[in-house]
Amino acid sequence: MKHSHRGAIVIAASLSATLLLAPANGLSQTPAPAKVADKADQAKAAKARRIAERFEREARLLTVFDRRGTVVTTVGERAIYLAPVFSPDRTRLAVWKNDLERETEDLWVLDVATGKATRITAHQTREREGAFWPVWSPDGQQLAYGALRGGHFGLYRKASNGEGTEELLYQVPGDGPILRDWSLDRRFLTFSSSDLSGGTLYALRLDGDGPRKPLEVFRSKSQIVGSHLSPDSRFLTYSSNESGKNEVYVRPFDPTQAAETTPAVGPWQASDQGGVAALGWRQDGKELYYVAADRSVMAVEVNLRPALQLGKPKVLFRLSQAVSVNLMLAGVSRDGERVVIAVPHAPTLNQITLFDRQGNVVSKVAEPGRYLHPALSSDGTRVAVLRNDPRTGNDDIWTFDVASGKGTAVSSDPAPDSAPIWSPDGSQVAYRSTRGEFTGIYRKAWDGTGTEEHLFQYTPGAGLVVTDWSSDGRFLSFHDGCAGVLYVLPLGGSQNGLERKAIDWLRDEYSVAQARFSPDSRFIAYLSDEIEAERFEVYVRPFDASKPESGAGDTKPVQVSSAGALGMIFWRQDGRELYYMTPEWEVMVVDVTTTPTFQAGTPRILFKLPGPVIGNPQQWRNVSRDGQRFVFSISVPVAGPASRSK
Amino acid sequence: MSAIFDFNNRVALTGTLSKVMWTNPHLELIVETKDGDKVATWTLEGPSPGFFRSRSVGKVQFTAALGQTVTAEASRARDGSLSALLRMITLPDGTVVSLCPQNC
Repeated sequence: MKHSHRGAIVIAASLSATLLLAPANGLSQTPAPAKVADKADQAKAAKARRIAERFEREARLLTVFDRRGTVVTTVGERAIYLAPVFSPDRTRLAVWKNDLERETEDLWVLDVATGKATRITAHQTREREGAFWPVWSPDGQQLAYGALRGGHFGLYRKASNGEGTEELLYQVPGDGPILRDWSLDRRFLTFSSSDLSGGTLYALRLDGDGPRKPLEVFRSKSQIVGSHLSPDSRFLTYSSNESGKNEVYVRPFDPTQAAETTPAVGPWQASDQGGVAALGWRQDGKELYYVAADRSVMAVEVNLRPALQLGKPKVLFRLSQAVSVNLMLAGVSRDGERVVIAVPHAPTLNQITLFDRQGNVVSKVAEPGRYLHPALSSDGTRVAVLRNDPRTGNDDIWTFDVASGKGTAVSSDPAPDSAPIWSPDGSQVAYRSTRGEFTGIYRKAWDGTGTEEHLFQYTPGAGLVVTDWSSDGRFLSFHDGCAGVLYVLPLGGSQNGLERKAIDWLRDEYSVAQARFSPDSRFIAYLSDEIEAERFEVYVRPFDASKPESGAGDTKPVQVSSAGALGMIFWRQDGRELYYMTPEWEVMVVDVTTTPTFQAGTPRILFKLPGPVIGNPQQWRNVSRDGQRFVFSISVPVAGPASRSK
Repeated sequence: MSAIFDFNNRVALTGTLSKVMWTNPHLELIVETKDGDKVATWTLEGPSPGFFRSRSVGKVQFTAALGQTVTAEASRARDGSLSALLRMITLPDGTVVSLCPQNC
């Protein structure tokens, strides 16, 4: 897998604890190869740790609420559940469950009263198979669901007691369908499919003879998720971002009309202040339900006849910001009396927290909220962070004053913004934002004033992570969303975001991420899994700022870490120390020199965090320039009910 | 991906693997198919090399297949060109590599 010139990677990070600085070409520092059995054991242990951490992060308890948000009961054990759906008589729940150990995704039915679980599908591997998006038949005897079989998506149905064989209803030629409803008259399954080119609502007719082919009910250049048919099958409800933000709509359903046909009436907007997901109709057609942008479960009074009339949305209850759930996956019973949501076992928020080099907490910034990827300004007085707004659900960039905790919005828009990076002088923040099918890099004044500048637009449909802004202000670095290529983006000149070109600095057969410029811009430290797939280490290579287009070239990388690295690479401003985070959540420091050549000593632990920290360490730039302060977004328990009645 | 490739427009190909570009962020395979005397040269885009590394399938298996017949399923480019996003490939030794669910 490696190119020949990399056969002599320098292992500067010796296991020897006595020698702090190793020569850059010190091949004698290469540690003895580990025994195969040891490596296998280590890999097993690392996998087990990753599974345990992911389970803690993603495991949920199926929780049933009444219309006021009071918890009525919980069902079954904690697991990684998605999309729970009530049976028509609300005595059972169908749910899609992810088994991390077996690496499978299967459907289960749980009895609400006893928690007894019945497996509906049984898959061998997630790579080519899986089942998802269950819906109940009107009589509760069957389940329909989407599934991936041998690389092909399909819609299937099977008895809801798990017995018998499944029936393929329709093999989907394209992307995975989001199945949301089985009409009360039993005639239709409704599903949607969205990609960056737009979305389509479909209805699959279950009656009649011959091969089934779904009806294209509605096609849009916007994203669409849904849909649920009204009890009389005359209308359907779905969510769409056609107005620039997600709202819930209702439109007529006429199976005889083509998707391009504009309906004589409608569509009607059912939500009034953002609607992220339609949840369905009450079985008598008198109400429909959706989730609002502020995490409220909403009800809208409906008259289906003689003409459709929608009332003003009213809040049933709002889930606390501290309950980290995807409310798009809530389920409402057909009588409208119960809502099921997969919720974490304890509500938590995130506290922006500064640590010293010994791991002592030195300050907490602002009130707990939903924060990711805090970054310290060059003078250490401010923190830039991704903040999830509980009112709008938007992910925006904010800055907070460390001393006072005062927060200021840098960006404020429905587009998801992420990975803030301070300019060297602390006057601006650069960040990534995805708008339509393009992810780009933007910058704006740290206090949100002035206009936002579009610095760069990436390949349509592809993601990126902004990772650094060089000390001389001349370059940004980023890696692609697959962690496959390290890019350098020159900021000089007067090009706009569409004209500016990024330079491939390092593109090889292995994964690479988080390029960080040394303070003198003569080196770049980065993550790579060059030696072993999916096990990253920190490496350093020279960077020629006068000829960035020459890329990393054939220079030999110096390996800095040796026991794995998650990210958080940072150079102290004098270029004498490098920091990074290990998979054990240890903050590491390495003595380094950059003149005349790069040399690195043995990594030492500064302190260990109490547990997994949310966010992606490949996006963290969270160390003060003098290496005295480290900022993290730490999960903190929050007292109080998981939901509150209105 | 879905901005460039149409997941609803699939193509099944059988042809000769003539080139392997094993690079990030997405590898590329060139497959030449024949319809009578007409030869069509398809460019198939795959996931990253890391995707295959983590599944114990590597460049070695693909380069060993050069000049031999492979079968592939892919989603065609929206611009109508002979390029497509790889969904599944069968190598001459019978190895089947599915790129699902990433590329499905």
